[in-house]
Amino acid sequence: MDPFSAALGVICLLALLGLPIGLSMISGSIMYLYMRGQDLGLVAERLLNSMFTGYVILAVPLFIFAAELMNTGSMTDRLLRFCNAFVGRFRGGLAHVNIVQSLIFSGMSGSAFADAAGTGRIIANMMTKDGRYTKSFAAALTASAAVIGPIVPPSIPMVLYSLVSNTSIGFLFLAGVLPGILMALMMMVLVVIQSRRQNFPVEAPTPLRELPGITANAFPALMMPVVLLGGIYSGAMTPTEAAAVAAAYAFIVSAVLYRSISLRSLYNSLTAGARSSASIGMLIAGALVFNYVVTAENIPQTLRVYLEGWNLTPLQFLLMVNIVLLLLGAMLEGTAILLIIVPVFIPTAVALGIDPVHFGVVAVVNIMIGLITPPYGLLIFIMQSITGARLKDIFADLMPFIGTLILVLAVLTLFPDLVLWLPRQFGYQG
Amino acid sequence: MKPTARRIFRWLGLAAEAVAALMLAVMFVSFLITIVFRYVFNWSSGWAAELSSVMWVWLVLWGAAFVLREREEIRFDIIYGSVRPAVRRVFTVITAAGVVGLFLLSLPAVWDYVTFMKVQKTSYLRIRYDLLYSVYVIFAVAVILRYLWLAACAVRKIEPDALTDTSNTIDKER
Repeated sequence: MDPFSAALGVICLLALLGLPIGLSMISGSIMYLYMRGQDLGLVAERLLNSMFTGYVILAVPLFIFAAELMNTGSMTDRLLRFCNAFVGRFRGGLAHVNIVQSLIFSGMSGSAFADAAGTGRIIANMMTKDGRYTKSFAAALTASAAVIGPIVPPSIPMVLYSLVSNTSIGFLFLAGVLPGILMALMMMVLVVIQSRRQNFPVEAPTPLRELPGITANAFPALMMPVVLLGGIYSGAMTPTEAAAVAAAYAFIVSAVLYRSISLRSLYNSLTAGARSSASIGMLIAGALVFNYVVTAENIPQTLRVYLEGWNLTPLQFLLMVNIVLLLLGAMLEGTAILLIIVPVFIPTAVALGIDPVHFGVVAVVNIMIGLITPPYGLLIFIMQSITGARLKDIFADLMPFIGTLILVLAVLTLFPDLVLWLPRQFGYQG
Repeated sequence: MKPTARRIFRWLGLAAEAVAALMLAVMFVSFLITIVFRYVFNWSSGWAAELSSVMWVWLVLWGAAFVLREREEIRFDIIYGSVRPAVRRVFTVITAAGVVGLFLLSLPAVWDYVTFMKVQKTSYLRIRYDLLYSVYVIFAVAVILRYLWLAACAVRKIEPDALTDTSNTIDKER
């Protein structure tokens, strides 16, 4: 058996039997080096050097911490009240609130899990109180809305894609804006149709004279995306610095302005943030080590030569990647796909003349849909534990949303200009 | 296990968690210092940037070694989660054998690499690289011991997680 197959075999076996994926990849890489007769110390060298010098990755723990602070402080509550005041008055109001808040809130957290566990939890509880919406619909909608989070900047998956593809993170962030808005609009259209059919409830309309007060109350929270994105696109800050500023802003607003954060809750945010960071960091570390093996074996280039033999058009290639990623996404964890599988396709995409930023957005949308696709979509399980709905019912309610999101994915795949228009306005040459 | 030993384990777990939280805090604050120094005062802030990177490396490997519980780690558990506990214990023994064997195999070379790095120092803080990178050795040894322990629990049919769990409600993300 050649060393690469052996390494892959070890990784698959260990991961399938339940070993954490990061550890499985480190183990497989040790196997590879051993069979090649290379220095086994390379494992430590690769892991430590790339973690220590990878400046972009620092954005990951900082965004995680920012999201923790916003959930602990009352920023998310105030945002919800703001969204409810505006769109709650329509039929299916809370369902629309859910989608709109995802679009705004996601402009800060950068993580679908933070969205689902933070605002998602609150709004799902609001929806199911007094049985106004079924638990399974609340769970399905909240999970689907959370998918928008990592498409709209800032986005941890986009940071990771930029890491593996050497694409500008600033342009990637911009490229996600229109697709995110499109996803939200399409989901709202779906909710409008469902509201008519199933006669969803309307929220008591907030009197117009209360709107200025509610807006003022939510204003500091609403300014977060402005501070964050303004800082990045004015060229004043790198995205990693913007992540730190976002966390600092969340802290100052919660502690000083809203006075809703105690020492105890600050400590809890720190421990929760540290745990999430270590967990995702281990996966990144494993992928960095295993990427050494993949590069040493020249896998991406070999695949490129092989796929070029198929004479695919760029569109056929993208569709093929879509299907592969959707299938994998239904079974595997998204970050793992992004760090291990996606890089393998990048050289082929570039050789076919597909723009790497467009490819990145398509891949991330794809992987995010995977998060709500049965059987393995992690967001489904988060929402199930929050709402207590039955998995079978959630799956059924999810289907229209998954269909809608796949439709958006198809549109994004077919029309690269939709993704690339905004980055080009800011000088992207692609 | 005796209650005293249990209490010591739990206390150690909370201490390890506090250290990880402190690392995240230091990383965050030193990153802010970088920004303020560079943009407000136009001072050099290489040392603070370096400190954030040091904290990041340590946070991940320290956290993975002492803080994260099995179920908090990112893993593929469709199969693992759907089989009977007895089969699951067999899985645990197989994965533990694999990871312990391979980590032990690499440990001497890893030790050589890390100790060899004593000849270099980081650019700003002048930290000796062998000290900075020693966290990988700590991590590797912790992984070996942890999986030996998990395998032992599986063989003796005990539930290992309840023992030192500090994560209780924090595990909201997955």
